[in-house]
This record gives sequence, C-alpha cells and structure tokens, in this order.
Amino acid sequence: MYWLGRYIARVEATLYEINKAYDLIIDVDKDAGVKLYKKFEIDLEYTNAIDFLDKSIRGDHSANLSTILQNARENAIISREYIDELAFGEIIALNEMAQRTSKSDLRVDYQDIDYALSLISEIWGAQTKRGHRKAGDYFLRLGKLVEEVDFRLRFNRKQAMTELILEEINATFKLLNPEINIKASDNDDIMGDIYRQMDKLIVVD
Amino acid sequence: MLEKPTDLHDKFWEIFSKQDRQKIDEFKSYMDKFAVNFNLYKDGNFIEQSLPFDVIPRIISKQEFNKIEKGLIQRVTALNLFLEDLYTDAKIVKDGIIPQEFIDSASGYLKEFVGFSPSKKIRAHINGIDLVKDSKNNEWVILEDNLRVPSGASYPLSIRDTYRKIYPDFFEEMKIEPIKNYPKIITDAMNYVNTGGINVVLTPGRFNSAYYEHSYLAQKSGAHLVRAHELVVIDKKVYFKNYDGQKILVGSIYRRLDDEFIDPKFFNPESLIGVPGLIEAYLAGNVALMNAIGNGVADDKGIYYFVPKMIKYYLGEEPILQNAPTYLPYFEEDMDYVMNNIEKLVIKDVAEAGGYGVLFGHNMSTIQLEDLKMMIKANPRRFIAQELIEFYDEKCYLEGSLQDRKADFRAYVVAGEDVKVWNCGLTRYALEEGNYLVNSSQGGGFKDTWVMEL
Repeated sequence: MYWLGRYIARVEATLYEINKAYDLIIDVDKDAGVKLYKKFEIDLEYTNAIDFLDKSIRGDHSANLSTILQNARENAIISREYIDELAFGEIIALNEMAQRTSKSDLRVDYQDIDYALSLISEIWGAQTKRGHRKAGDYFLRLGKLVEEVDFRLRFNRKQAMTELILEEINATFKLLNPEINIKASDNDDIMGDIYRQMDKLIVVD
Repeated sequence: MLEKPTDLHDKFWEIFSKQDRQKIDEFKSYMDKFAVNFNLYKDGNFIEQSLPFDVIPRIISKQEFNKIEKGLIQRVTALNLFLEDLYTDAKIVKDGIIPQEFIDSASGYLKEFVGFSPSKKIRAHINGIDLVKDSKNNEWVILEDNLRVPSGASYPLSIRDTYRKIYPDFFEEMKIEPIKNYPKIITDAMNYVNTGGINVVLTPGRFNSAYYEHSYLAQKSGAHLVRAHELVVIDKKVYFKNYDGQKILVGSIYRRLDDEFIDPKFFNPESLIGVPGLIEAYLAGNVALMNAIGNGVADDKGIYYFVPKMIKYYLGEEPILQNAPTYLPYFEEDMDYVMNNIEKLVIKDVAEAGGYGVLFGHNMSTIQLEDLKMMIKANPRRFIAQELIEFYDEKCYLEGSLQDRKADFRAYVVAGEDVKVWNCGLTRYALEEGNYLVNSSQGGGFKDTWVMEL
C-alpha cells in the first residue's frame, strides 16, 4: 500500500510537471523538458512540444509512466483487500490507459494527461471517503506524502510547505508506531531519515 | 467585408488546414468545461450562460499593434490628466475647451469629489478602449472609452490557454506575443497605488454577469476576491475579515461594481453589495480604488467627442488614433447636420452602455426617425450622433462553416507607474451577419487576438 501510494503520487506529480514544461516548450523555453528530466537524471530528447509529451510519457527511460503504472497495478492487485473498490477500478483504468497509449500509433496529447489526472483525483477521493480506517489506508497515505516530499526536495519547493507535509507524515507514523518521529528542521537528509523510519515500521528482522 | 489577407493570415490558414477538423469540437468542449461565463439578466431573470466564442483568432501584425499601442498610451494619459484636472483645478473648462454645462450634465460627474486627488493621482487605472478597423481607409478608429469597470480581459486569457493545449503548432511556428502577463500588469498597478495593506478584488457576487472574470483575475493576480460583507471600515481604514475573524488592512481595491453601489452610506442607501464607510476611507487617502470614483464623466459618450481636444490640450500632440466622426446636437451646427442626415447616422444615448441605447438610422422607419428627431431636439445633451463606420468583418467558424461577422476590438490599457497596453484584447463579433452590435450583453461572441509577426 505504501508503494502504491508512492507510484500514484509520482505519476500525478510528474504529469503536473510535464504540463508546465509543455507550455514552456511551445514558445518560451524549448529546453524546459530537458531541464525537467535532468532532475530525474534522464537525458530526454524531443523535437517539439507534442513530441515532448510523447517522449515523456512513453519514452524509453526509467520515468516512463506506463512502467510506473504497471508497478502500481501489481501493487493494487496484491493489496486489493485493503483498497476501496472504486479506487481499485480507477487504478486498473489508469494502467490500461497508459498501456494502450504506449502501444498506440496516435501521439499522446493533453487529453490523455487530463484524463490520467482526473482518474488519479478519483483514486485519492475514493480512498479517503472510507469511514472505517484500516492500517492499509495509512500506508497508502504515507506513500503519497513521502512521494510529495521527495518531489518538493528535488524541485527546491518552499520549505514551509515541506515541513507541513512532514508533520502529516509524523502524525501518520504515530498512528502506526508512536515511537517514530522525523525531524524536519536542520535535517539535510530528510529522505534518508524517512526511509530509516519506514524500515523501523515495516521491516521485520 | 473582410480585411485583405496578409502573410500572417496566409501562414495561419496554412497551419490550420493541416489540423484535424475534429479538433474544433475538442476545442469547444474543452472551453465548455471551464464555464467561461458571461451571465445575463433578461426580462427580470438571471440567465447563467457561457460566453459564445470562436476558434478562429483575429490577427494583428506587431507593427500595426505598435501604432495602436502608442495611440492608446497617448489617449489614456490624456484621459487621466483630464480627470485629475477636472476634479481639482478644472482648467480645461476654464480655458473653454469643454463647456461647463457638458460637465455638469454628465451623469458620471460627481461634484462631491471635487478637490480630492486619489493615490498617485491616477484615476483611470484599468481601461477598456473599444476600437474598430475602418474598411474605407484601413485605419483603427476609437469608438468608446470605458474607464469605470471594463470587463472582458479574462476571456482571451482563457481561450489562449485552450489554444495552446489543442493547437500548440501555431505558437511553435509563428511569433505570437505571449499574454500571460496581464494579471501581473494589474498587480503591479495595484501595488503602485496601494496605500499600505493587501490587494483585493471587490465583486458584487456570483450573480454578477462577469463573476467568472472577477474570480479568474483574483486567482491569477494573487489578490483576495472579496464581497462587501468581508470588508469592514474602522477609523476610516478598510480591513478584510478573513476566515478566522482576523482583520487585515486593505491598501488597494480593484472594485468590480459601479460608483452608485459601492458605499450605501455615501451613494445608494439601498445597495446591499457596497461597503459602508468605504468612501470616507477613500477620501482620507487610506485606500486606493481602481478605478477611481467619478470616472464616469470621462467615458460619457458626450465627453468622448472632446478627447482629441484633450490630447492637444494636455499633451500638445495630435491624436495618433482618431475618434469616429461624431456630432453633438448640443452645438447648433451639429444639430442641423444630425437633423438632415439622421437616416445614415448612428445615434447613441450617452447614459447607456453595453450596446443598449444605440440606434441605427438606416434601420428605422420614417415615423421612428421623426420621433427620434423630436427626442434629440428636446434633450440634445442626451444624444450623440456618429457616422456609420463600415468596419471589417472577421472570419468565424460558426455552425460548421466559415462565416463573416462584424468584429470590434477592446484593448486593455493599465495605468500604474507607467501606462501599459496589453498585447492582446477582446475581439467581439456580432451574433448575426451584418449586425454592427458586438457587445457581449447583446449576445455577441468573442475570439482570441494574436499580435504577431512571422
């Protein structure tokens, strides 16, 4: 459930960044997509804005969204009993869309991105509406929040909001294990700290 | 009549012809998703509706726009000088350029504000200047100055976003001026006149015809969108009451409601959408209002006649952009001309706006014309008459085919530290073929405007 949350949040955050870069590539900065993928340590080549969409979504690289979504689908199947039915269905639909797009002769366009983002919103919505919370829900939430922190650190986003998310992570950790706490301030290895705490939480010796 | 196509038009059609026609439907449904509304009140009913739009943009060359830009900066500079002069020394009246009677009878002139200078002495901050391109001489002509609460800038911003998503090729292959800076231009102007505090956009609420625009501009400019009950005046200072009751000082208000309704303590006591005490705070210099109170005098259709004279008077320059040939029945010579040529003129009621009170002589019967003549004679200050400008049509893709429609152009000119003309504007087209009324409140649609070069 933790990794499912991470995969979906990763796809969501990446799609938002792709949208921004797409708009810049059109007539502001042709290299906006190159710069974006440098942050993922990937050298991306494209000819124009539409080609960028295509390459970013189904190119032969590690941030290829269809690969991430295949992983998400596997996790969803394994964790099916913990997932809201509607959310599960949306995950399957999201992966199907990604796989269909990756094999299609048609190019990826803004509609595919809008559709994917809409499905992701439905996944989060369906999963949060559940009245009776199980531990699995908190792990999904942890995955989502951790991925958000990871993105914010990679993109040097405002620390105040990052700290707020870390507070949420801590609150979620505490529900699962009251002894765990991530220190946000004066911490130059936040992700390392999170991973160590995650290990305490889920790795059984 | 269409304007002679230029290389820019040719390039547009070359790219357009390569596009899948299905994309036009996509374009329409994508726009519909965002509820780009301009609501109407008709027969006492509130009608919530999307503003009709067209997928074919108006194209203006950069070179041509540069001239428009210079003319608009000149005009808005003169109009601001006029307003400041009129409400302080009124030299333009004393020097006999504009008759006192004309000022006194202008409904937007507010004597109570004589002697008051607003922050940075700017009064017309956000201006919508309506132009058309005359097919007879290929020149742009000013039809109206809107210096109170001009609306419409959010519509081209919305359609441009959609355009860039669906048709990126145009923007990659042609040099089209970017337009996203409009909210920043407004913010800069708000910051410039701000008397200390936050910026807010004051809206009458969701039942206003342009509520979509109010929320859009507030969101994009970073100003709070507020309704009257969220503002409170204490000791002649305006505060925004936030969600937890905290009061935050307001320094600049981009107000989207008319003078008459803005403060029930000062103007219409029955106004439920105004902020009691706001005018006291304004007169104390504790808050800036964009646009200033009392601007209606400068966009009075009768005063419009004098704008070229203002430009000469204040700036010592010849107007770069001309008015439509206009006659004031108030002057005897003009009255004679109007009486003898009424069937070929456009008669406008100076108190009306939004395309209301506009009569086309050529559409009226003999009896109607005689009635109109009597009304003009009885109250000459109430009307102006203009030669009918045969302005160009624009190609529109309507109901599955290309059709020609009359179209005007509203340019947005913002006065802050400098006077800036936005590199875009609202092109409005008439609903029916041959109709000259393009106003949104008359059912007209809008399209994007591309200022561009090859």
